[in-house]
Amino acid sequence: MKERIETKEYNIVLAGVGGQGTLLAAEILGTAAMKEGLNVRVSEIHGMAQRGGAVVSDVRIGKDVLAPTVLDGQADVLLGFEPLETLRNLRFASEKTLVIMSDDKVPPTELAAKNKKYPKIEEIIEKIHRFTDKVVVVETRKLAKEAGSILAQNSVLVGALAASGEMPLKVESITEALQELVPAKYVEVNLKAFNLGLERAKRQT
Amino acid sequence: MKLFYNRENKVLPDSRVLLKDKPEERVLLLGNEAIARGILEAGIAIVTTYPGTPASEIGDSISEIAKEAGLYMEYSTNEMVATEVAGGAANCGIRALTAMKHVGLNVAADMVMTLAYAGVRGGYVIVTADDPECYSSQNEQDNRFYALLSNLPCLEPSSSQEAKDMTVSAIEISEKLDIPVLLRTTTRVSHTRGPVEYGKLTKPRLKGEFIRDVKRLVMVPAYSRPKHPVLLKKAEMAKEISETSPYNKVVHEGKSSELSMISSSAACNYMQEAANLLGIDADILKLGMTHPLPEKKIGQFLKKHKKIVVVEELEPYLEMQVKAIAKDYAPNVEVYGKMNVQYFPREGELSTRTVAAGLAKITGKKLPIDFEGIDEKFSEIAKELPARPPILCAGCPHRASFYLMRKAYGEKALYPTDIGCYALGIASPLNIGDIMICMGASLGMAQGINRATDRDTIAIVGDSTFFHAAIPGLVNAVYNNSKIIVAVLDNLTTAMTGHQPHPGTGTTGMQVPSERILVEKVAEGCGIKYVRVVDPFKTKETEAVLREASQQSGPSVIVFRSPCTLIALREKRRKGVELVACRITEKCTDCMACIKMLGCPAIVVEEGKARIDEALCGGCGLCVAVCPYKAIECVKLK
Repeated sequence: MKERIETKEYNIVLAGVGGQGTLLAAEILGTAAMKEGLNVRVSEIHGMAQRGGAVVSDVRIGKDVLAPTVLDGQADVLLGFEPLETLRNLRFASEKTLVIMSDDKVPPTELAAKNKKYPKIEEIIEKIHRFTDKVVVVETRKLAKEAGSILAQNSVLVGALAASGEMPLKVESITEALQELVPAKYVEVNLKAFNLGLERAKRQT
Repeated sequence: MKLFYNRENKVLPDSRVLLKDKPEERVLLLGNEAIARGILEAGIAIVTTYPGTPASEIGDSISEIAKEAGLYMEYSTNEMVATEVAGGAANCGIRALTAMKHVGLNVAADMVMTLAYAGVRGGYVIVTADDPECYSSQNEQDNRFYALLSNLPCLEPSSSQEAKDMTVSAIEISEKLDIPVLLRTTTRVSHTRGPVEYGKLTKPRLKGEFIRDVKRLVMVPAYSRPKHPVLLKKAEMAKEISETSPYNKVVHEGKSSELSMISSSAACNYMQEAANLLGIDADILKLGMTHPLPEKKIGQFLKKHKKIVVVEELEPYLEMQVKAIAKDYAPNVEVYGKMNVQYFPREGELSTRTVAAGLAKITGKKLPIDFEGIDEKFSEIAKELPARPPILCAGCPHRASFYLMRKAYGEKALYPTDIGCYALGIASPLNIGDIMICMGASLGMAQGINRATDRDTIAIVGDSTFFHAAIPGLVNAVYNNSKIIVAVLDNLTTAMTGHQPHPGTGTTGMQVPSERILVEKVAEGCGIKYVRVVDPFKTKETEAVLREASQQSGPSVIVFRSPCTLIALREKRRKGVELVACRITEKCTDCMACIKMLGCPAIVVEEGKARIDEALCGGCGLCVAVCPYKAIECVKLK
């Protein structure tokens, strides 16, 4: 029995912490899919779960997609907005999954309270390797700062995702969706962040 | 005091996409936004709601576009009032809708049960958004049973498209039968984005006429008694509608005649994908109108098959009825679900995996994915992962209030709490919150606990929850002279559900100014003798008030007033006000008092040293006040 089956779907799992812009990134991808006339489902978590807690959003693209959530082992991409949250969602990854992960740590308060250390990025990558060899680590904070705001880290990651060759969405559809969904005065910064992410991932993949 | 409420700066996209008068245009919408679009297509003139996840975005979307769409919307004080306002308007012949989360229907139930007898003249839809898995709720009750209990028709969408279409259909059914219609979603329908093809917009008719008809509308025993058989007759007519409803149909005709499947709502999505996964090619009867069920249609379907699998989330609502129908139509058919043998879980939400596992057990087929292998591999990762539960934001005024309560009363007092962000106070190190059941219950429970224990009892309740359901409890405390302290955590918004206005904010759902109702005035009006308003970030004053309150011989009310930090920061950014953040200086002795006392997410420990992440810090200065070595300062951010 396999961990991964062949389908005509494209599944993206976005994992982060409430407040990181995970939901907006997912909506940008969903809107881009609509622009290309594709069937899509985007799952979101709102309300109490959001307050600084772990947030997961799934984007599923494909003709026969009905359910909003990705099955274990079946993610094409795991887009990690935070290293520990990337680990928390590894059950959706298997050998064909591309993991694109931000290296920007948001330490859970439990660590400080229990006097524990945040694991090293190398340890985290080692754990991801137990599921897949395809890992791209992106310096989202650095690139977002370069673009003009550390709040644009989500756009850096979406850019890095757009660089992936197997993505069924065109770069133009994603940037178009981004321009529609990001508030006008932040569009420029986010486009710049997107492009920096795109260039960064192209270099590695 | 300046109010910080402002919806214009919302980060999420513009709801005006819902106003597009372009039939056949395809738009990506959240299930809740699709219902909002359905409201515009159905020509609904009055929308009432009390915010609650997973229903909130229905009211919020409408609030943003109500003026342009030419309809009236309000955030009512609670779901009961929301239903009353809409029920009154619908009895003047205009179309109405009320949206609420599942537990909101418990609050509204008194009105709904008898409005079913009286009926409505304009179409009236009650949306109940259920929350399997308790993502943002205190229970996961299955509100389809309210349809059975009230005899009202119930529609259940499985996608954004159906959510929109069924809103329109629900109005039509309501007007055909002159009774309210329930539209039941779940979290995965309300909070999933999917494509929606637009239909035509209908201009709402805002004004109607009230026709006096006491036999129809005044439910005294003599008039309500004959209305019961009238309601039952309408339920029979609803069953005829259900028999021919396009929402109750065979969505897939399979090659195998042996086995077939029945499902509804989000469960049907998982079921169809799970069947594909296992290579099960069976007939699928999808039910979208789930009360009353189409008895004949289901009966005929049962007759054609030997084995029926019923897949549904939460309670065996369909299964029970399918079995009852089978008794009359196909007594030998085998029904598989969750009643006798649990092939599918009765608690939590379903997934393609759980449904596939159940189907595999029933059919003897093998799962094509090695889920157990994945579980095993993942458990190695999971066991070392620190938890990341939702927590109070950095800069949240509730943290200051809770810290001071603990400082003043410690373990001495008991803290019944309520529904809202402040329920997150239960986490360490604040540990405030000893019992929480439902909206407004903290006040009443505090009185019972105080009578039974004679301990200091502090009822914690938020501002929106105060107006929603706490006032009768407050009156009871005065009337029956209960010595409790009521701590109203007033952050000037309904924070948890997305910052909706409430009676204490001075703004309405139509986004116009209104009379601002102050908690302290209400408390005084109810006869509370000791009422104080404090700013929890003024720690010394607040602490003094907390101690004074315990000396009172009767109930007391302390209003902890400070705006939600998310709103305050957003407003400061908008106005270009200089932001501040806290910083730990070289005076720090690594005593970790800030960590141990506050649990603020902005204070992190690196290499044994506390550090403040200025990107997260709200600059509230609470850590400055608690640091025993004066080693934290507030600095301006560039």
